[in-house]
Amino acid sequence: MSRNAHPHAMAPSKPGRTRTAPPQLPDQFPFGGRYLAYTLFDLTGILYVVLGLLALCAVWSLGSGEADWNAVLERNRNLFSVGFHGIALVGLIFVGIRFFGFFPKAQPPHVGPLKPPPKPVILVGLYALWIGVTVCLSIVLAGGVF
Amino acid sequence: MSDGHSKKTFVVTRFDPDQDAAPRKQSYEVPVHPDWKVLDALNFIKDEVDATLSHRWSCRMAVCGSCGMMVNGEPRLTCKEPLSQYGDTVVVAPLANFPVIRDLVIDADGFMEKLTSVKPWIIRAKELAVEEGPMRQSPAELAEFKQFSMCINCMLCYSACPVVANEPEFLGPAAIALGHRYSLDSRDEGAAERNEVFRGEGTVFSCSFANECTEVCPKHVDPAAAVNQAKLNAVIDWASSLVLPRGGDE
Amino acid sequence: MKHPLLKLEPLIWLLFGQGILLGTILLTPWVLIVGLAIPLGIVPTDALSYERAIMLGSHIVGRLVLLGLIVLPLWKGVHHMRHTFIDFGGAERDALVAPLLYLLATIGSVLALVAVVRL
Repeated sequence: MSRNAHPHAMAPSKPGRTRTAPPQLPDQFPFGGRYLAYTLFDLTGILYVVLGLLALCAVWSLGSGEADWNAVLERNRNLFSVGFHGIALVGLIFVGIRFFGFFPKAQPPHVGPLKPPPKPVILVGLYALWIGVTVCLSIVLAGGVF
Repeated sequence: MSDGHSKKTFVVTRFDPDQDAAPRKQSYEVPVHPDWKVLDALNFIKDEVDATLSHRWSCRMAVCGSCGMMVNGEPRLTCKEPLSQYGDTVVVAPLANFPVIRDLVIDADGFMEKLTSVKPWIIRAKELAVEEGPMRQSPAELAEFKQFSMCINCMLCYSACPVVANEPEFLGPAAIALGHRYSLDSRDEGAAERNEVFRGEGTVFSCSFANECTEVCPKHVDPAAAVNQAKLNAVIDWASSLVLPRGGDE
Repeated sequence: MKHPLLKLEPLIWLLFGQGILLGTILLTPWVLIVGLAIPLGIVPTDALSYERAIMLGSHIVGRLVLLGLIVLPLWKGVHHMRHTFIDFGGAERDALVAPLLYLLATIGSVLALVAVVRL
């Protein structure tokens, strides 16, 4: 069940007086127990790169003319694209919840004379920003205003 | 001694560098008392069953940090974990991510080097003269770093950290938390020196915020918070060094 | 092994951090509407007809939003891909893989700037 960690994990700069057995990875890493959420969080990197590149293609097409833009809208209608964006939405929500949960404790107690707001205020503020921007931008994109 | 005892099987990692090519497992059946911790069972094995078993322990009350081991796959202080929470079989192994000297004893020298490198002590540009009296610190100033000072150097966090497992140079949770503790201390003037270390080979930016260190810490230090606070401080230090370069860096 | 990148890590981490924070916040409505609601017919297609899309996208705020939702997720993404690669035993090749990933994000960022400017 055990697997080797990096052969030099936690190795001292000089070898000890006796030979040592190689360091072992924690049993549950990378897909067991709590590590699953962590590994999935890191794997959303691929999702974000794909989303960024798709958005780049869309904006580039918009700048290329009506035919190219309409082709983007048409491509988005295919089942594979809809399915991918559904998974992407779940991924975005997962990332947001995990990251926002950690964000308050990652703020130092002060930076020079500046102190961060209390942790609950930071958390509420983050969710308010997320929900607020989502609602406003969705209304704009959906034709509700402008 | 037999009153109230039931039997549990302990599957313990054994490794004798003089005799074993690789670590192996050895099972022991132990009559356990309902109040026992894992350490009590290990001490019973050593005292009554197999005197060749080697393991570290000291205070028996979760303050010295000596008795960290993997118990059923999780890094734990064996003096702290009641046996009653485990089933009939308990698997005990040396701490993950560390080289193993013998049986359940790991080589802690690598940790000591990383810890020393962050200069975990008060650094003053100039020491106060005795006549100037003591340095004063308010309760609010103490509160800023007190949590991070609770670390007992038990190294459970290093066993849980996926970055420690894969990046040998990474300073690791406890070392960064303790360095950060001193940088936050109002008496300290060494934050810039520590930020050089935090941005060096052992870079704090290797941390990927798994938060496993915090999950396993027996003293509620929350090293993940310390490491990620240290990242922000290191960024601010880096940005200000672009604008106001210090002499003689790197 | 990591020397050339060590000096840039604070900047990369800042971009990564904003990629998670602002990138997630900006991408959510984009994926909701452009990726799901319009294709599924919940929102009519002419909400983002070419004329309207150009009008929105060429406004200064529109350009900044579009730039943000391309660039920031790219930096978050490549940084996490690098971490994933290391987690699965790739630390010895990090000196090769990391610059390639960050180069991808850099090229994407430059193209994003060109893309929003030419709207």
